[in-house]
Amino acid sequence: MTTLTPASDQIALVDCVSFYANAERVFDPTLHDRPTLVLSNNDGCVVAACPLVKELDPDIMGKPWFKIRGWCQAKGVEARSSNYELYGSLSARVATILGRFSAWQEVYSIDESWLKLRGAPEELESRGQEIRRTVLQLTGIPVRVAIGPTKTLAKVAALGIKKNPAFNGVLDLRRFSEEQLDRILDSLHVTDLWGVAGRNGKRLAALGIHTARELRDADAKWLRKRFSVVMERTILELRGQKCIGLETQPPAAKDQLIYSRSFSRKLTDPDEMHQVLSIYAQRVSARLRAQGSVAGVLSVWASTGWADEGTVPHSAHRAVPLAMPTDDPIALTKAASVILPDLFPTAGIRYARAGVVLTGLRASDGVQFLPVFQSEFEDRGVGKVLDEITRKLGAQAVGVGLGGMKTPPAWEMKRAMLSKRCTTHWDELPVAVA
Amino acid sequence: MQASQPEPLALDEPLILPFAPEAVACGFPSPAEGYWSGDLDLVQHLVRDPTCTFVWRAAGHSMTGAGINDGDLLLVDRGIDPVPGKIVIAVVDGEYTVKRLDVIQGRTVLVAENLDYADVVLHEHTEMSVWGVVTWILSPAKTKRGVRPRL
Repeated sequence: MTTLTPASDQIALVDCVSFYANAERVFDPTLHDRPTLVLSNNDGCVVAACPLVKELDPDIMGKPWFKIRGWCQAKGVEARSSNYELYGSLSARVATILGRFSAWQEVYSIDESWLKLRGAPEELESRGQEIRRTVLQLTGIPVRVAIGPTKTLAKVAALGIKKNPAFNGVLDLRRFSEEQLDRILDSLHVTDLWGVAGRNGKRLAALGIHTARELRDADAKWLRKRFSVVMERTILELRGQKCIGLETQPPAAKDQLIYSRSFSRKLTDPDEMHQVLSIYAQRVSARLRAQGSVAGVLSVWASTGWADEGTVPHSAHRAVPLAMPTDDPIALTKAASVILPDLFPTAGIRYARAGVVLTGLRASDGVQFLPVFQSEFEDRGVGKVLDEITRKLGAQAVGVGLGGMKTPPAWEMKRAMLSKRCTTHWDELPVAVA
Repeated sequence: MQASQPEPLALDEPLILPFAPEAVACGFPSPAEGYWSGDLDLVQHLVRDPTCTFVWRAAGHSMTGAGINDGDLLLVDRGIDPVPGKIVIAVVDGEYTVKRLDVIQGRTVLVAENLDYADVVLHEHTEMSVWGVVTWILSPAKTKRGVRPRL
């Protein structure tokens, strides 16, 4: 009943194929034809797996590492700790290259970008192949290009590419006739669609709407009343009407910054907690300086694990208004230590996580103080020097107070199978045998 | 491998600079005004395209004749065609090696530039792919004393 308009702007979703696993392969040729999976922080559970692993176990995602370790060895599955520095670096390179193919780009996630493209279906499919070749050659990362008149339909095209290798990684949904498109939407369940939450599947089924085609042909206004404007948008987008635009504006500087982590083991020692908090304060203050802001309030918290039966449950939280908005790591580290007297009120507590949050952020260049209000460290440029050193030598190279420990502290995140951070650390460069 | 150089699409609307690029000074004009365009930028000179340039380290002595010493940094560009004659990072049997790519009597050869090392001649069953082309070799200058020029 709906034909997709052939002309006008089309939306392309470019996503990296098994991004984490393929990022690992860029600098490790031994992984090329081997099943590869990547573990979450602290080597907890599987967060990414290449298709070769999913062939061996379709339900591998989310499984805890300690349960599948033996299975991996037996099956020749390679596991890696998450190397977020490497993924971030390659992701930024891919996004920059994709931006050359269109003046309109929305970087949607670490491995997805939306692009606006204009042209006939054949033209855009050949441009899609060119995008694939270029990104693969320049970065080593394979991508897929799914094209449609709207974001929702581009996502439908992406499902088609995943299901059918014959498309060779590129599909413009407009290549299908009206009848073919009907059949494709017939074959998709409503919850396969982008923007339709799983819990809405049952509610739609109660109304006799099961497939994507039935949803497209339903009464949009009526469903908006029963669900929300999001459902109406999905329906209109399925009909080829753009409702969800490209967000091409870079996000404004964040108005709060958080550095929080779970520890690799539970902490029972006040000195170690002090060390954790001073390091977290320094990490978050580095992010603050990177975005050129100063903070007015520092909040700090620590808590025990919610499912940990070996501890007396406890959590503490403190917020400190700073005398003057600052980005000074020494002032922020000092402020974070206000929580220390609240910790360990009784015996038998072991903390599982902690965090430092900066709020009341504003641009640092607008700050003017009278000298009497200036922090004693302010004009020594301590923060800048720290940033310069950590950028060159890694986050653990130097720190203030207890953060300045040379050996990584015992509670630091466990990443036992971490590959080299080839693109971000001078001492971890890839090596070629001469 | 074919290098593909996408052209950025033209914007529909012209970009308008909302301010004058130079400040209007009321005092004596600087004689350098209009000539200043920034100091030499080494990265700009060495890196053709930052999205596909990577830094590698060489380990070994097989390429000393090409000026690659053990421990040198290599700038590697994945956007350049690996034509015969180029120094490349190649993947041979699951290992990265740096050699000069050549075709000798119809066979692809990874040439070592040091007589003490053998070339890698590729046979049909050897798997080889080129990872990238080496564009710069960064060697630190060595400190030496007592060197006299020959007369």
